[in-house]
Amino acid sequence: MTIVTAPPELDKTDTSTRPRRSRARWIILAVLLVLCLLVVAPILVVVLNAFKTPADYASNGPLSIPESISFQGIVDFWERVDFTRKLLNSLVTALSVAVLGVLLSVLNAYALGIGRVRGRVWFLVFFLVANLLPQEVLVYPLYYISKALYLYDSPVAIIIIFTVIQSAFGTYLLSSVYDEFPRELLDAAAVDGAGKWRTLFGVVVPVSMPTLGVLFTFFFIWTWNEFFLPLIFLVSADNQTVPVALAVLQGDRLMDATATSASALVGILPAVLFFLIFQRTLTRGIAAGAIK
Amino acid sequence: MAHTRLKAAAGALLLAASLGLTACGSNGEGDEGADAKSLTLWHYEAPNSAMGIAWNKAIELFKSSHPGVEVKFEEKSFEQIQQNAGMILNSDSAPDILEYNKGNATAGLLSKQGLLEDLSGEATSRGWDKKLTPSLQTTAKYDADGIMGDGNWYGVPNYGEFVMVYYNKDLFDKYKIAVPTTLDEFTAAMDTFVKNKVTPLSVGGAEYPAMQIAYELSLSKADRAWVDDYQLYKNKVDFHGPELTYGAQTFADWVAKGYIPKNSAGIKAEDMGVAFSQGKFPIMISGSWWYGRFVDEIKNFQWGTFLFPGNTLHPGSSGNLWVVPTKSKAKKLAYDFIDITMQPEVQNLLGNNGGVPVAADAASITDAKNKELLDLWTKVSSADGLAFYPDWPAPGYYDVLAGGFQGLINGSKKPAQMLDEVAKPYNDNLADLGK
Repeated sequence: MTIVTAPPELDKTDTSTRPRRSRARWIILAVLLVLCLLVVAPILVVVLNAFKTPADYASNGPLSIPESISFQGIVDFWERVDFTRKLLNSLVTALSVAVLGVLLSVLNAYALGIGRVRGRVWFLVFFLVANLLPQEVLVYPLYYISKALYLYDSPVAIIIIFTVIQSAFGTYLLSSVYDEFPRELLDAAAVDGAGKWRTLFGVVVPVSMPTLGVLFTFFFIWTWNEFFLPLIFLVSADNQTVPVALAVLQGDRLMDATATSASALVGILPAVLFFLIFQRTLTRGIAAGAIK
Repeated sequence: MAHTRLKAAAGALLLAASLGLTACGSNGEGDEGADAKSLTLWHYEAPNSAMGIAWNKAIELFKSSHPGVEVKFEEKSFEQIQQNAGMILNSDSAPDILEYNKGNATAGLLSKQGLLEDLSGEATSRGWDKKLTPSLQTTAKYDADGIMGDGNWYGVPNYGEFVMVYYNKDLFDKYKIAVPTTLDEFTAAMDTFVKNKVTPLSVGGAEYPAMQIAYELSLSKADRAWVDDYQLYKNKVDFHGPELTYGAQTFADWVAKGYIPKNSAGIKAEDMGVAFSQGKFPIMISGSWWYGRFVDEIKNFQWGTFLFPGNTLHPGSSGNLWVVPTKSKAKKLAYDFIDITMQPEVQNLLGNNGGVPVAADAASITDAKNKELLDLWTKVSSADGLAFYPDWPAPGYYDVLAGGFQGLINGSKKPAQMLDEVAKPYNDNLADLGK
């Protein structure tokens, strides 16, 4: 009997707190909705205009609902810049940079964080400064080096440059993660007779996999969105990446708002897709950090 | 600390780089590349624009007159050419011929660095100098300091551009206003709109439109000698002289009288054009670059154009230039291509698609709207009325002027104070040039 009466009692306490709690929840929901709308609004405007005809845009302005859905802007843009090719270029560059950048970061951070080489603080300061360097500063030196190495107008130049730039950040971040790496694991590996390489690939890398996943995702998206250096180093249309191709639509004095929206839409879709696919790695990586 | 040092280092590198560019660029080769088997050609015009259409035709004509030559055409972004032309033209990736921006800071700078081929010989032997009027030639020629107006030919323009008045015929009819022929009639027309609670002018105060309106007003008091002083540094310009004072003062008056909307200081040129094409404003003062777009896109009302009333001088210039890099491997072919773009067939096509051709045959422009544009252009260019743009004379002057006129629109500055502010960078630049 007592067991049967217990639930109503619980219910009673529940109902007494529910109105208050639910009111708070509604307010939070409303605030979140407004924030969400603020974040999504610019993208919505892009979507709205991507499917408009230029005449529709000219007579009704950017905020109106399209009179009819037109895919012409997207199709025209795709053919005009040979977008398939640009997608492929971007994919190859961003993937290579993500893989190589993570590898380089792991090697550096292993030496700095776990190996504790002398002067490691200065190394980290150096990497931090390298991170803060504006890319404009790098342009001329890189231009002359790449010309001397016959890498000007080649995707290889971009891959090397961004591997280094991204791994500067990766090294900085990963070193502090490895600084806290459980010593017991390393000691256990040493007792088992594992050498430095074995320890790295058998113990350190698998344990820090979630963090590496986060780095990989970020490197990919950052490189995908890079505009300035690819604009300078990828001269031929055949080598160009997606953001550089998007710039073709911006003219001297005029811009074509509908075509620009269409291109922006197809330009960000791959990065968004990639983010959605790897979104779980991201949350897992952040959670892994939190547990420790 | 680290940052300032880095900046200093960057500055040193930039300097070294520009020296390097000058040094490397001057080795011309005797070979004209007449037997080259391919022509790499770059431009940054949209394929459906007047220039894009005409140049496509030119490529076709070139192919049929040069069988066996492969044309490698790439559409570039304006931004890429604007930012990197110096670096690209100094590398082996340089094209054989490309479209490039006219002006001291662009074509002038590259010609000074020895990156562009001197076209003077071709210009006279192929008669390009006969087809282009003197004010069009101004932007094609650069002297040893890279200043336009005199010296050698470094580029050839195919089209022109100029500032005019676009008006909404439906709104003019509604308030029974005739097309003004004098500045007084023009202000009277704008008064009528203001009385009827319609703001007359669509203005993009954040970008080039505001400065072009004020320059148009200054030009109403100016002559060619003043333009040469201001643009080509022939004599010192008095910023408190009658021309610039009238421009700034009248501009401020137009804001006060409500001709120019008070909120336009934050409006971009693109939004100005869209607002006009939505029929929100009866008048817009801007360049011929809008023309083709308005023909295609304005469907809800009748519109027309007239030249700024009373002026013989108008803001405008040649369009961008065809230039041949010194590193071009097919110079002879490049000259042939430029010659084709100057032929009536290509020029007429440019005119029939809403562009402003420099050497078209007026009789073969058939479409009424395109004819209207060409007639205005003929009026301007036959009177040699191109006065260039107000932001040309000094590097970075665009931002200075845009800021100045934003101040006038906001009312945060008086005209005299604003003229003092914009005079300083102008005179600093003169000092840098040693004038």
